[in-house]
Amino acid sequence: MIHFENVTKVYTTQKHPALEDVSIDVGKGEFVFLVGPSGSGKSTFLRLVLKEEKPNKGRVHVAGKDLARLSNWKVPHLRRRIGCVFQDFRLLPNKNVFENVAFALEVIGKPRRFIRKVVPEVVELVGLEGKADRMPDELSGGEQQRVAIARAFVNRPQILLADEPTGNIDPATSIGIMKVLDRINRTGTTVVMATHDAAIVDSMRKRVIELEEGEVVRDQTRGVYGQAY
Amino acid sequence: MRAQFVLSEIWIGLRRNLTMTVAVITTVAISLALFGGGLLINQQVSQMRQYWDERVTLTIYMCTEISNSTTCEENGPATDKQRQDIQSDLESMDQVKSVEYVSAEQAFKDFQDRFANNQAMIDAVRKGDLPDNFRVQLVDPTKYQAVANEMQGRPGIDTIYDDQQVLEQFFGLLDGLTTAALTVSFVQLAAAALLIGNTVRLAAYNRRKETGIMRLVGASNFYIQLPFLLEGAIAGLIGGIIASGFIVAARFLLLTRIQQWFQFDVTLSTGSLLSVIGVSIILGVLLCTVASFLTLRRYLRV
Repeated sequence: MIHFENVTKVYTTQKHPALEDVSIDVGKGEFVFLVGPSGSGKSTFLRLVLKEEKPNKGRVHVAGKDLARLSNWKVPHLRRRIGCVFQDFRLLPNKNVFENVAFALEVIGKPRRFIRKVVPEVVELVGLEGKADRMPDELSGGEQQRVAIARAFVNRPQILLADEPTGNIDPATSIGIMKVLDRINRTGTTVVMATHDAAIVDSMRKRVIELEEGEVVRDQTRGVYGQAY
Repeated sequence: MRAQFVLSEIWIGLRRNLTMTVAVITTVAISLALFGGGLLINQQVSQMRQYWDERVTLTIYMCTEISNSTTCEENGPATDKQRQDIQSDLESMDQVKSVEYVSAEQAFKDFQDRFANNQAMIDAVRKGDLPDNFRVQLVDPTKYQAVANEMQGRPGIDTIYDDQQVLEQFFGLLDGLTTAALTVSFVQLAAAALLIGNTVRLAAYNRRKETGIMRLVGASNFYIQLPFLLEGAIAGLIGGIIASGFIVAARFLLLTRIQQWFQFDVTLSTGSLLSVIGVSIILGVLLCTVASFLTLRRYLRV
């Protein structure tokens, strides 16, 4: 599903590469934790998957497509197969829960009937039934993140990327978020989650890829967060 | 769904940027009004040129009792023999298309007709003040000098008068006006384009959260940019419509007055007025859309 082959990425403003000779293979339906300190290259990895950046060396394949050979105007179609969740939720403050989730379908031109049908289903899937007409500022952080997950998942992407989704959320609420992500993973969606949260990684017992200064230092199935941090 | 979504985005964008939108519309309206005015004067001038080219371009005034040029004083008033000779000579010239003899009575009558609404002019001129003359139409109006040289100094001829030379001065003034209006309008249009660029940049910045999410969920570039482009186009359209108001006003107030000075009926057709308006509005919309597009390419990338 995601295939990195000797990928090196150097940002023009920095001397040290953000990723150096990284080879990673993530299969369909896998759940992968991406761990490592800040600046270790986790976000760069996610940005490369979305083709927000181009690698300096190596190849990136996502959903069977070689991103180097994907023309710019096809990038939006790639992104429709990838859902994204961030630490800061990125909800539209002037739209309610339903509208925020529906927004993702509206802007790719889905018909209204389809939107009316699928949005409530996904809102229920993330555990927000009965809160569809709340505004984001009426929700707790955990609930806002559920809305963001619903928006990322409403188009049934093949891959869900989560960049520290529990970074702004207390540990108790984080467990709920992880349950939602796990539920999404069980539908066959590949989930890649970058995180600093050792407790969550340890409790989930999923594959762990550890990055340090742009290099893969550990790739372990059913792994734990590690001792160093 | 799509249409409704795009329309609501445009409305939000225009409202959020109200002051900038007003500035854009005003600049576009003024520059397009100048542009359209320039085109209008240009068309009017070329129509008047055509009108005059088809008519008398050379008038040969004959000597009378009261003529005071040297040839007339030497030879006295023109005789019938001289008139006949001059007429046949003119008719035999290659450059001459037609010759019309206007008797003194006819000249006086024509004068009265032409200044029928100007009593002061009619009172000032008495019968006999106006000499009889030949109105000569040339094949090529610019060959005036050759014909004039041939006739100049012949007994019986007082003065040779080229209508076009007088008209040229006036046309020159109108041409100058046209050039000035068009130049100012182009400077204004450039300013309008920059202003639109700035407005769109502001709009893109205001909505960076929305556009960021749109990009993430895979909205196409076209879909993300469309509301901004249409915002520009709508501002251009409104500016163009206001400008066409000015253009119509210019047509009926300014050009009608110019026509009155000339005492001739050379009216711009409704068709050419509409075409000027059409060109102005299309230019406004195109300019705004292109300016928006170029700005978006820099500030709203994939």
